Amino acid sequence: MTSFAISTHGLTHRYGTKVALKPLNLDVATGEIFGLLGHNGAGKTTTVSLLTTLLRPTGGTATVAGHDIVADARGARSKIGYLPENVQFYDDLTLAENLRFFAKLSGIPKPDARIAEVLGFLDFEGHDHERVGAFSKGMRQRVGIAQAILHRPPVLFLDEPTSGLDPEGVRTLRQSVVRLNAEWGTTIFMNTHLLAEVTRTCTSIGIVRQGELVHHDSLAATLGEYPTEQALESAYFDTAGSAA
Amino acid sequence: MNSISVFAGKELLDLRRNKVMWVLTASLAIAVLISVVVASLDFRTQMAAYDLYVNQLKASGSTVIPAAPQLFPLQMLRGGFEYIEIIGALFAVVVGYGTIARERFRGTMHLILSRDIGRVSFAGGKLLGIGVFWAVIVGAIVAVAAVSVSVVGTASLTGGDAFRLLIAGSVSWVYLMFWSAVAAGLTALMRRPSSALILALGLWLFVVLIVPQIGDTMDPDNQVPGGLFKALAIQKSDEVAVLAHFSTFESARNALEVTSVSKLFERIAFAFVGIKDKYNQQGFAFIWYAMSRYTWSILAMTVSATVFSLVASTRTNLLRKAS
Amino acid sequence: MGVVARHELLASRRNRAPQLLVGMFVGMVAVSSFIGWLTQTTVSGIYGQVLADGLTTQPNPFVDVVPLFFARNTVIYVVMIGTLMAAALGVQSALRDRKATVADLVLTRPVPVRALLAGRMIGLGALLAVVIAVSSVISWVSISVITGSALGVDGSLRLAAFGLLTWLLLLGFAALGVLGGLYVTRETSALLAPFVTWAVIAFVLPQLGTAARPVSLLNPVASVPQTSGVFHAVSYVTVPLSITEHFKTTSSAILEGSSGGFPLASLAAVAAFTAVLVVAVVVTSPSRLSGEAGE
Repeated sequence: MTSFAISTHGLTHRYGTKVALKPLNLDVATGEIFGLLGHNGAGKTTTVSLLTTLLRPTGGTATVAGHDIVADARGARSKIGYLPENVQFYDDLTLAENLRFFAKLSGIPKPDARIAEVLGFLDFEGHDHERVGAFSKGMRQRVGIAQAILHRPPVLFLDEPTSGLDPEGVRTLRQSVVRLNAEWGTTIFMNTHLLAEVTRTCTSIGIVRQGELVHHDSLAATLGEYPTEQALESAYFDTAGSAA
Repeated sequence: MNSISVFAGKELLDLRRNKVMWVLTASLAIAVLISVVVASLDFRTQMAAYDLYVNQLKASGSTVIPAAPQLFPLQMLRGGFEYIEIIGALFAVVVGYGTIARERFRGTMHLILSRDIGRVSFAGGKLLGIGVFWAVIVGAIVAVAAVSVSVVGTASLTGGDAFRLLIAGSVSWVYLMFWSAVAAGLTALMRRPSSALILALGLWLFVVLIVPQIGDTMDPDNQVPGGLFKALAIQKSDEVAVLAHFSTFESARNALEVTSVSKLFERIAFAFVGIKDKYNQQGFAFIWYAMSRYTWSILAMTVSATVFSLVASTRTNLLRKAS
Repeated sequence: MGVVARHELLASRRNRAPQLLVGMFVGMVAVSSFIGWLTQTTVSGIYGQVLADGLTTQPNPFVDVVPLFFARNTVIYVVMIGTLMAAALGVQSALRDRKATVADLVLTRPVPVRALLAGRMIGLGALLAVVIAVSSVISWVSISVITGSALGVDGSLRLAAFGLLTWLLLLGFAALGVLGGLYVTRETSALLAPFVTWAVIAFVLPQLGTAARPVSLLNPVASVPQTSGVFHAVSYVTVPLSITEHFKTTSSAILEGSSGGFPLASLAAVAAFTAVLVVAVVVTSPSRLSGEAGE
């Protein structure tokens, strides 16, 4: 039997009368890198906000690493790492001070060794005593990954992780994601509106359109169905529905 | 409990790094120092005038020498406590606002709340950090006050004086915590942090300046320059008898004043430090008897403000977009 | 410039937060006459009682009170609430564009920056004028009701002159707020800077020149600078800068015909304060207008 890192049943969210996420049934197997594709406003961030317990669903249920996101929200939180889009830090604090704070919040009592380990893993040493305010976008994104994996969470959520990065930054981030998955066995749930992102990094793909999951399959199966990049691209535009 | 102490530690680090906070607390300490210097110089001016007068009397052959103005060192702190009452409260509002607004503006709220922390850890830890901060600041200001009274005012402070200062310092801490907690609660509650700041400043204006000012205005004795009863040449005993006829007006005025946490702070601090003549050089039992009601009231206000702040800091409120 | 001024009025009207302070100001002006009346009634009652008890032979000190005596508390509300309201409006005005990062969009239009800034001050000035006009009408009506007859021409003119003086002072504080919003990076500090400046002007400077304690400076009557000793020497520096005390001096001269202090010199001090700050706003370099405002 496959174990699921993420499992949702009819998970729904409304903002007032506006439906942001139609009943979502999704299973992401442990050890996968799942990419959720969709245009801006399709419901990707709402999905991640629900699964990271930042939003309370208006309907349905979901478990993350075996913990119900409503009944056992704290249990779920202890198993996840999260990198929001456009992540911000305490600019007046140094890299080490920022990470120490988040590590302690994640229940790591003596965090310095762990911080060194994580920064080593991300090839991001030598900046410990620099203030985060002076960091470039690419460096900040690496701090973002670092804070998210300090406590070695089994499930990591990334919301538009490459947004605003230069090609070098994008490449570094992709490498980190793949290595995390391969070396630490972390299940990764990644939101993106970039097709290339998914085909290069993910093992399975979901496409969300106007709050509804319209496609979900493994990367291999998806590529079998759409063998050329062109075919996949037109399928993405058809399924994701270019509203514009 | 652990995450509470993490937030408290982080809050202290933030405040230590915040240059504005340093400028503010330094200026508060300087204002207190200035008011002691002013009071001390004022006393010297009075003494000089007295000496001149006595010399003139002696020269004219008079043998009746009026009593010299008496110096009660702690009374020189009146201006200092008034600065804590007015400007200290303003800074406390800013500290309380800043602690929540910083996280909401930066967008670090998501990073924090996606972690496994308790319901009140965030706000509780922040308030604990602010509590330690104010304890240090009030401690420093009381030390500045004590040293300036001794050095500038050339007065020696007794152990009893130090104890009185300690009580007044503790009340200052309770008072400043009230304002920080209220501002933090409002900042968590309101959608726009900047609206919360203006609301908190409006509240500050009303409670710290307007209510006491209305209370003063409603004091009949303040209506005529030099005092109504003095203008009518009326003795103190008769004044009390006359005012007894207007007890409803007087109690309404008093009730209005004691709704203001600032007025409570002022009354308690002034009584214990002996700034108010009625309590000067009096024993603690006497002062406590008169002040216990006010002390319980100000404690209740601060506890309520803290509870408000904790209750207002729900995940939903904290995560709302600052639109 | 007109476009900017009109935009300023519209944007200020939409932003509800500073309106709280506007509401407090107008509300307190409305209530102050009532409080004055209530207290005066009580004082007259006390006088009646004292007379009946045969304790005094002095005349009623309230008999000769001019009707505008009831407006004297307004003076202190201008100093306490009005100035802070104006500063908050000014800060919000300057920060509005920076927060929305629309300053760059505005600055790429063919409009000289000085015209933009002047337009902003005109808009704020118009807004303050409306608020002061409303509060003056309220004062006029309530004083007429309390005294039982419509305020005469002389009284009305004095009230109008007081309104003008108030406008002058508040425009200065609005400019102070705009400067805070333009020059200080973080929003909290931008709002705080004019508040702290206000505290220094209203409390610290007068205390240095007069030995008056902070709370006693909440009295509508200006404190008298000391004529000898150290305070006298210090007062040479602090008195010209104690703008709120000058405002009180000029106000008592206008409202109650009081001859204390030097009302004309005080008026000049208030006018100079406002002129300097408004000019400082208008000559601000364009680089100050953009740049996103942080917390």
